[in-house]
Amino acid sequence: MMRKTLDRKLSRRKFLGTTAASGAALAATGTGLSRVSFAAADTIKIGFLAPLTGPVSAWGKPGLDGCLIWADWVNAKGGVKIGGKSHKIEFVGYDNEYDAGKARTGATKLIKEDGVKFIMMLGGDTWPGVEKIAAREGMLFSTLLPSDLTPDTKTLVAPCEVHPIYNVTGVEWLAENKKNLKTAAICAQDDALGKPSVATYLAAFEAAGIKMVDAPLFFDPATTDFAPVMTKLLAKKPDILCLDTCYADYVHPLCEQAFQQGYKGQIISCTADFYQKIVEKTSKDFMEGFVFQFPDFDDPALNAKEVNFVNPNEFYAEYAKRFGAKEWSAVSWEYASIMDLWADAAAKAGSAEPGPVLKAMKAGGTGKHAFGDAKWWGKELFGIDNALVGNWPVVVIEGGKAKIKAFKSIPAWWDKHSKLMIKHMTALGQMWNQR
Amino acid sequence: MPDPAVAAPADGPVRRSFGRLRLVFLFAALAVLPYLLSYSQQEIAVLLVINVLLVSSYRLLTLTGEWSLGHVVIMGVGAYASALLAKRLGVPVPLSLLIGGCMAAGTAAILSFPLFRMKGFYFLIGSFAAGEIIRLIWKRFTDPFGGPKGLKRIDAFPDIDTGFLSIDFYEPVNYYFLALVVVSASLFVLYRIERSRIGLTFHAIHWQDRLAESVGVDTFRYRTLAFVIASFFAGIAGGLYAHYVGAVNPTRFSVDQMVYVLVWAIVGGTATFHGPILGVVVLTVINEMVLRGLGLDTARPLIYGAILILSVLYLPDGLESLGPRLRAWLQRRRGGPAAAGGEAA
Repeated sequence: MMRKTLDRKLSRRKFLGTTAASGAALAATGTGLSRVSFAAADTIKIGFLAPLTGPVSAWGKPGLDGCLIWADWVNAKGGVKIGGKSHKIEFVGYDNEYDAGKARTGATKLIKEDGVKFIMMLGGDTWPGVEKIAAREGMLFSTLLPSDLTPDTKTLVAPCEVHPIYNVTGVEWLAENKKNLKTAAICAQDDALGKPSVATYLAAFEAAGIKMVDAPLFFDPATTDFAPVMTKLLAKKPDILCLDTCYADYVHPLCEQAFQQGYKGQIISCTADFYQKIVEKTSKDFMEGFVFQFPDFDDPALNAKEVNFVNPNEFYAEYAKRFGAKEWSAVSWEYASIMDLWADAAAKAGSAEPGPVLKAMKAGGTGKHAFGDAKWWGKELFGIDNALVGNWPVVVIEGGKAKIKAFKSIPAWWDKHSKLMIKHMTALGQMWNQR
Repeated sequence: MPDPAVAAPADGPVRRSFGRLRLVFLFAALAVLPYLLSYSQQEIAVLLVINVLLVSSYRLLTLTGEWSLGHVVIMGVGAYASALLAKRLGVPVPLSLLIGGCMAAGTAAILSFPLFRMKGFYFLIGSFAAGEIIRLIWKRFTDPFGGPKGLKRIDAFPDIDTGFLSIDFYEPVNYYFLALVVVSASLFVLYRIERSRIGLTFHAIHWQDRLAESVGVDTFRYRTLAFVIASFFAGIAGGLYAHYVGAVNPTRFSVDQMVYVLVWAIVGGTATFHGPILGVVVLTVINEMVLRGLGLDTARPLIYGAILILSVLYLPDGLESLGPRLRAWLQRRRGGPAAAGGEAA
């Protein structure tokens, strides 16, 4: 038997065949890459390094789709004017599958082979794989998760979503508008996204005088059966059911379970991606009054003078036309809004190079955030003022449709309750010096 | 055509010489390979070399007939141990890598007591449960494991600078050669073990465990030995990963990742030493280079799944069976006309 096994060793012919096949495959890949690098000289490439497949893709793929609309619109108008010359924008995507190792590979490809000038990321588990490259190459990166920020991450900015701090606005609005709600229960997936968000909600509930009926329930990200999670959450009959920053794959079954177990109280969540599907699976009545933080961009409230996002209603209509309204998610507009900020900074700097753009972006300590003028902030919480913070919308589902009920100020809440936030962040080990 | 009776005595040395020649060509190709790749493809090559060790170590465990769902977690034990030793205690990285491997082996030795009371499907489920317990420990104890976020800024391999020679292991091409040396040495050891009396005993336990017991083989000890050795090398693979990427977290060692190892092993085949290696190389090149190069990023899971289904349907013995099948086909083609001629005569 062993002799037979020996006989089946890699033969020279087989080796040559395999090598030739691999060589052909690599050559094909290499050719593809060269084509990209021979693109027009007046085109500026922007990297998009996020999960495009897998369980976290809902916070990557819709963002890239939104960016493609942004690029089409900007390029149709002649591109971004930098240093007196117009430049077309081209996005180069890389699926990091929410894995640090693949994020490292993607970052090196985007920087060294595609020659991008700026890289947008979701962040979280993938940032540590990229951190060293960002520092070595001096590349400007953006993240949607400011918990990636530390005093060392000098070329990393969080210019759009200051997750999870904006969650305080939803709780504050609830406390002001539904004064009968006195107790809450919270659950989250036990990961880098769930914990800081739980700390934020705990601080916000405490500030609002709402008591927790139980300790936060952390479930494993591999959970597929949410019936026992919901049973435990509802056991002490909370007035508010808080779904924290659960991924869409968890929010949907959690809502279904709450519906099936007869819950009729208030629900609050950071996101409600593809909420129409939840309405279909439950009912309009059940979802009525559901509070979350991410508006549909066909909302007339976004046409307010102070909102800086360009043509939000048209953007939403185009997105719905290309990809379907049900595919709209929390991040569909976010990366595009970061591009508004980048284009503005590049125009001011007269250069697309990362250093000058970052300097122009942070000049004066303020910036034009999608939801209004905001300030660069974060020293106390992240150790560096690289998060752009201002107003954030509170969104409520009414009649099966998301509607903005108010824009509330995050800095105003912070000025009043910063100690509470730091207390809960510290308790869960989420301060920058604990991470 | 030489007379087989005359050629037979020279067959052994000739075969050995060809074998050595093939190895020389293989190593020459592996030495040249990174210089034919782009920078990001070099990064992929580093991770591929590490995964070759992971899947080869997994095969050693399967020799005894047991398939585990905890092998990636065991890799994680090596990664966490090596990272913590270097980061917290300042242990030199090469030494921490070795100790990480030993910690993974030690964990396997402890787990073998409950796990090898089970066999087959029950062992599979038991190994999954044991792996999940370890992952929950990493998540639960933020100090020292970093909780769900895991560990980051893990010390890299120290650069070598002797004045005339400077090697920066941040560069993928340098780390590729470092990993290649470590993995080649590990594969050599794994290969020798499989060819040894111990390896034969592993095979015997796989196919006839009752018979092996009846002739005095302590199947528990041999299964434990396979598990411990496989885990040591998985731990080394974990250490290589941690010190290269600079970050580890519990999700990186989840059952999702384990499915990839199973797919590599199944698609490649586990009957031969090179089967799983073929699986990981072919699938990684397709998944990470070809499909990405063709701009099919978001379609990759679909295509990957299709490849798995097709290979199970049409290549049930794995890619490793392609060579023998091709040889048999060629022999039939060559033998066909000859046989017909013989009959005519």
